[in-house]
Formats: sequence, structure tokens, C-alpha cells
Amino acid sequence: MFETSSESPASVRAVTEAIKEYVERLGPIWIEGEISELNERSGMMAFIRLRDASVDMSISVMCHKSVIAAAQPLPANTRVVVYAKPAWYSKNGSLSFSAREIRQVGVGELLARLEALKNLLAGEGLFNADRKVALPLLPQKIGLICGRNTDAEKDVVENAKRRWPAVQFEIREVAVQGAAAVSEVSAALRELEADKTVSVIIITRGGGSFEDLLPFSDEGLVRLAASCLTPIVSAIGHEKDAPLLDLVADYRASTPTDAAKRVVPDIAEELAMITALQDRTRRYLLNLIDLENTKIANLMGRPVMKDPQLLITTRAELIAALRDRANRSFANRLNLAKAELKQVKARVRALSPQATLDRGYSVVQLTNGAIVTDPKTLKPGDLLRLRLAKGETHATSSVNKESRLIP
Amino acid sequence: MTDAKKISYEAARAELAEVVEALEAGSATLEESLKLWERGEELAKICQEWLDGAKKKLAAAKP
Repeated sequence: MFETSSESPASVRAVTEAIKEYVERLGPIWIEGEISELNERSGMMAFIRLRDASVDMSISVMCHKSVIAAAQPLPANTRVVVYAKPAWYSKNGSLSFSAREIRQVGVGELLARLEALKNLLAGEGLFNADRKVALPLLPQKIGLICGRNTDAEKDVVENAKRRWPAVQFEIREVAVQGAAAVSEVSAALRELEADKTVSVIIITRGGGSFEDLLPFSDEGLVRLAASCLTPIVSAIGHEKDAPLLDLVADYRASTPTDAAKRVVPDIAEELAMITALQDRTRRYLLNLIDLENTKIANLMGRPVMKDPQLLITTRAELIAALRDRANRSFANRLNLAKAELKQVKARVRALSPQATLDRGYSVVQLTNGAIVTDPKTLKPGDLLRLRLAKGETHATSSVNKESRLIP
Repeated sequence: MTDAKKISYEAARAELAEVVEALEAGSATLEESLKLWERGEELAKICQEWLDGAKKKLAAAKP
């Protein structure tokens, strides 16, 4: 637009007029924001500071007082939509918006817009159950985002300490309503999310009007909460029209007290539970040991184990019985043999010449044992041996002629 | 007795039951029976030690 150099600079006036010309070519637009300041002091004009609902940015808006009057009532922090045209003030080089119409954003409209945002975020899956992170059983440190000196803060801290005296908090006291709420809560959330010792974050505030709770439905804050890896508990005291933060939080507590209960286990309850479990395992084990003891005692009580003598005595009895049988059989055999011998003896005796001798016969032998049956073989003087029934005697042959045999 | 430290309670008990059954069957030789009986005594001792130990531990842990 301008060819300038240090030798031929543009004057303030030239620049100002150029901007003015440019700005005034822009048409009127609809702008949404919150009225953070309203000044109706001077003359016919009113000055408004219109700030963004989520971030710390603002613009100045001026209008005729009649425009304000048409939009009344306008309490502080009212959400409005302004139909305004940018205007450049050459006098001090500032940009302002000249409003022709101001409309309050009605609750119905806000709700409709919230509903649309809710549907959008739901469509992206930010509220899905599978995104919810389980709360730690016993958190290392609890991040707490709450208003300054609020009951909500006290409720959370006191209830948590009652349940678990050693619990540790990392507390961020921030604005929980109004202009700064979204940016302060977001900053605190980022800080606590970055702190690795914080294992769960509670965002709490007491109940309030629909508008008071609007920061907790802010798209930026809700998306930030959704992106946090640390589990988040929301405890925004509002039963219906739950702020969107509730939907994206990992646990939605009904009250600050409920949040404390969810985040910290009750030490007495836990101890009692552990003791009960301990008792049960102990009793179970004792029963088991008793049962096993009985089993072993039963096994050891069986006759074979209890009276090992049996192992030997049963066998000893067997041996004794066998020996007995052996003895008896041998005795029988012996008697049999004796009887046999007697018979044989009798037979031998019956067959021997003794019986003949007993009848008075005798056997004549020569000294060499030869039996004499023929007297002719004898010479006188031959020595003869006579075998009688009861012994023997000797004789001498005296006759050398044939004896006549007795018929 | 070398395996006294290694054998588990369950293994000892199962073996003890086997030993008693074998003895009761009466089919083992005397020498075998004596060995079985000795093993049975040993196993019973191992079981008892386990059970007494467990009981002692429980008693020691009593709060």
C-alpha cells in the first residue's frame, strides 16, 4: 500500500487513514461473547468489553444506549450475540466494534448449542466407555482443582483424610466460574496432568446456575480433559443438565464427598477386609492341616504300619508251622522204616539155617570153611568145626570108612 | 532321607499310601516288606514335618 523507507516514512495520519479506510470496508458480523464490562457513563454512547467465553481475549464494543436498553437486563457475564461493524478510531488508533443490536443468548439456545456440541463429541467417541480409565485403588497423590476456599474443596479434602489419613493432595485453587474459569481450570489441568506423582485428578465445584456451570461444558476444556492420561473425576454439583465434563470424565461423582469416597479407600474398611480374608485363609489352612493330619494318622494306624512286628510274626508263624509239618512227616517216615526193618528181620530169620540148627542139626565145616557133606573126603585126624544152634565147637575125624547114612 | 527336603507333601502322602497298600497286599518279600515299612516311616515323618511346619508358621503369623 505504502512504499516506505527510513528516508520517506508514512505519517501516522496517512497510516491511520489507510487502516480506517480498510476497516470500514468490512461489513457488520455477528459476534458471540460475554459482557465483562459495561460503561454507560458518557453521553449517548455505551462502552462494552466483550470477552471470549473460553480464552482470555476481548474486544471493545460501543453502541448507542438505546441498543443496551433494548437488550436489558444485562447482568455481568451475560452471554450475548452482538451484531457489530468494526470501526477504527483515528484519534487514538484503536479498533472498536460499533454494535447495532445486542441479543442475549437464551438458555434454550445455549442448551441447543450444548446439545449440538455433545452430539459432535459423542460422534467422535470421546464419551465412550472404553475410553474410561480405571481409578487407582490407592492414589499416590490426588490432584484437586477447585474454587478458592470453597466448601467443595473442604468436602473433598476432609472426607478423603477421614478415610485415609495419609492421603496427599496437590491442590489448584482457580476460578470455577466466570470469565477466567475455562483458562484457569485448563491451565491447572495441564499442570496436574504433567505431574507424574498425581495419579488421579478431581475437578470440583459446588452447584450453581446453568450459566455458572457453562465453563465445564467448554469444548476446549472438555477436549483437554478427554486427552488427559491421568484419570479424572468430575464432581460438579449439578444433578440435571450435567456439564459435558461429566461425560468425558472417567468417573462422575454426584458430590465432592462422593468424589473423595471414590478416589480414596476407607482405611478401616480395607483393614477389616484384609483381616477377614486373613482369618479365612488361616481357618482354611488349619482345617486343611487337621484333615491331612488325620489322613496321615489313618495311614500310620493301619496294622501293617502300626505293628510292624506283624511283618515278622506272620512269617515266623509260617516257619513254625512248616517246621512242625516237616518234623511230623519225618517222624512218620522213621516209624515206617522201623516197621519195615522188623519185617525184613523176621523174613531173614525165617530163611536162615538157624531154625534147623535149633532143631538139633549141626553143620560140619573144615577149618577153611568148606562144608563137609561126604565122609569120604575126610582123613582121620582132620580138624572139624561144628556149628550148633547156640555156638560152635571143634571135633576130630576118627574113622576113615564110609559111614552109612541114616535113612 | 536325602530326598526329605525335596519331596512335596502331596508326593510324600501319595507314596505313603502306596507303601501301605503294597504292605497290605502282602505279596512283597520279607526284605522288600522291611524296606517298604522303613520307607513308610520315613514318608510319615516327612508329612508330619510339613504339617507341623505349616502349623508353626500359622501360629507365628498370628497377629
